[in-house]
Amino acid sequence: MRLEDILINNVWDVDYEPHIVVNSEKCVECDRKPCINLCPAGCFTLLGDKIVFSYEGCLECGTCRVVCHQGVVSWNYPVSGKGIHYRFG
Amino acid sequence: MSRRFDVVVVGAGPAGSTAAYTLAKKGFKVLLLERGRVAGSKNMFGGRVYFKPLEEIYPNLLKDAPIQRWVVKERFSLSAGDTMLSLEYESGEKKSFICYLSELAAWMAKQAEEVGSFLVTEIVVDGFVLRDGFVKGVKIGSEVVESNVVIDCEGVNRLLLERLGLVKELEVDQVALGVKETLRIPSREIESRFGLSEKDGLSWILLGDFTKGLPGGAFLYTNTDAVSLGLVLMLKSAYSLKEHISSLLENLRLHPLLSRYLKESSIVEYSAHLIPEGSRLMLKHPYSDGLLIAGDAAGYLLNLGYTYRGVDFAAYSGYLAAQAYEKAHTEGDFSKRGLAWYEHLLRQSFVLKQMLKFRKLSKLLDDEALFSKYPKMLCDVVKALLAFDYEVPSLIEALKRSKKDVSWLKLLVDGFRVMRSI
Repeated sequence: MRLEDILINNVWDVDYEPHIVVNSEKCVECDRKPCINLCPAGCFTLLGDKIVFSYEGCLECGTCRVVCHQGVVSWNYPVSGKGIHYRFG
Repeated sequence: MSRRFDVVVVGAGPAGSTAAYTLAKKGFKVLLLERGRVAGSKNMFGGRVYFKPLEEIYPNLLKDAPIQRWVVKERFSLSAGDTMLSLEYESGEKKSFICYLSELAAWMAKQAEEVGSFLVTEIVVDGFVLRDGFVKGVKIGSEVVESNVVIDCEGVNRLLLERLGLVKELEVDQVALGVKETLRIPSREIESRFGLSEKDGLSWILLGDFTKGLPGGAFLYTNTDAVSLGLVLMLKSAYSLKEHISSLLENLRLHPLLSRYLKESSIVEYSAHLIPEGSRLMLKHPYSDGLLIAGDAAGYLLNLGYTYRGVDFAAYSGYLAAQAYEKAHTEGDFSKRGLAWYEHLLRQSFVLKQMLKFRKLSKLLDDEALFSKYPKMLCDVVKALLAFDYEVPSLIEALKRSKKDVSWLKLLVDGFRVMRSI
């Protein structure tokens, strides 16, 4: 099953503004790119040698901010009740 | 919202709501702030709660709380390829229940409200109000809410404490990553597939190649009409993962030895959360001037390898933080010294006693050999003893054949380490 088809069962209230900002220019220098396999929502994808980040499916776990040793992930919580809404968490 | 409260509690998870509940019951004016749309909507865990400590706090817990099933059956399995070695324990004696933390946290927040706490949701706290190094309240955008003490129950991602400079940024060896699928299965099917009576549940922990031999494990908990199926990976070793973590979870769901339990199920939710590796995240002094810290933020979670305790530890630390506030209030001293009673209470309680008792366990649970070699070795030994055609080997022969590149000494040393740490 594709991750997208699994994620689609979740309930979100997606904010207009991203709560996480990734300065992906520095990602080119990163050889391991742990965010790709470890972000459970697959928010980090590789396009050529560039990292493309999309915040929409974010589960707000914080994995990216911990595994990124390039320090390019500027991480915050979504504002005013936005983001993931767990019903069976 | 420039009102004044005795205490502002940040985060309506198990720790925060319990702190607010305890304080409001004692007559204090408490503001409980939650960033989610409702309390519990940002909470996630595996599935099981040991209830005795919670029952001490919430007398109506077992009657009222949103309990899915009572754990009467425990299974602990080691897996290697198409073989699985399991230990099963059954008992009529109930010590824990299975639930959704989203529901339990919402219930706790409701209890806190009913005794007079002010719960405000959809609020992200941006920082603390500081005056001469004292925490005097919280900042929300341009607004300020003042209080004598703030109880920080913000969870494992300690943004507020990091901004305050009280803790460093999280390191990979301080956390594990948990991912979970909630799979809908009709309750009668759950009961027949897992051999359970109505309202009774199974807690199942699996170690071995579900995590590709990486430190961590898999879990399955039966809810009323769904199963919580998940994986935990120590983030430090998860670096070497060669595929996406969600495909590990998918492999678990489709595993030949598990899929028969999970057939015709539908995924209703996919969730993820970081898990504190307690002893490495734990704060030596979980308080400061005008500040108390409880729950995941303080690192109170115990991973024993064969079971997890987080909710009871979190709630109980919130309960003790509330008691420490009461004493400081009586004495009119909200400084670090006045709040130090919190540490004393923690040390007297099971929370810190247990955390300290098992502090060496983190190191053991980091050991990749333990997860990559031993499950397979044990499965192979039992396979050799049971699955034979003409000649059955002696136990020592089976061991010798299965241990392969592990020396007897290494085996002995590791066996001793496991015995000593758990």
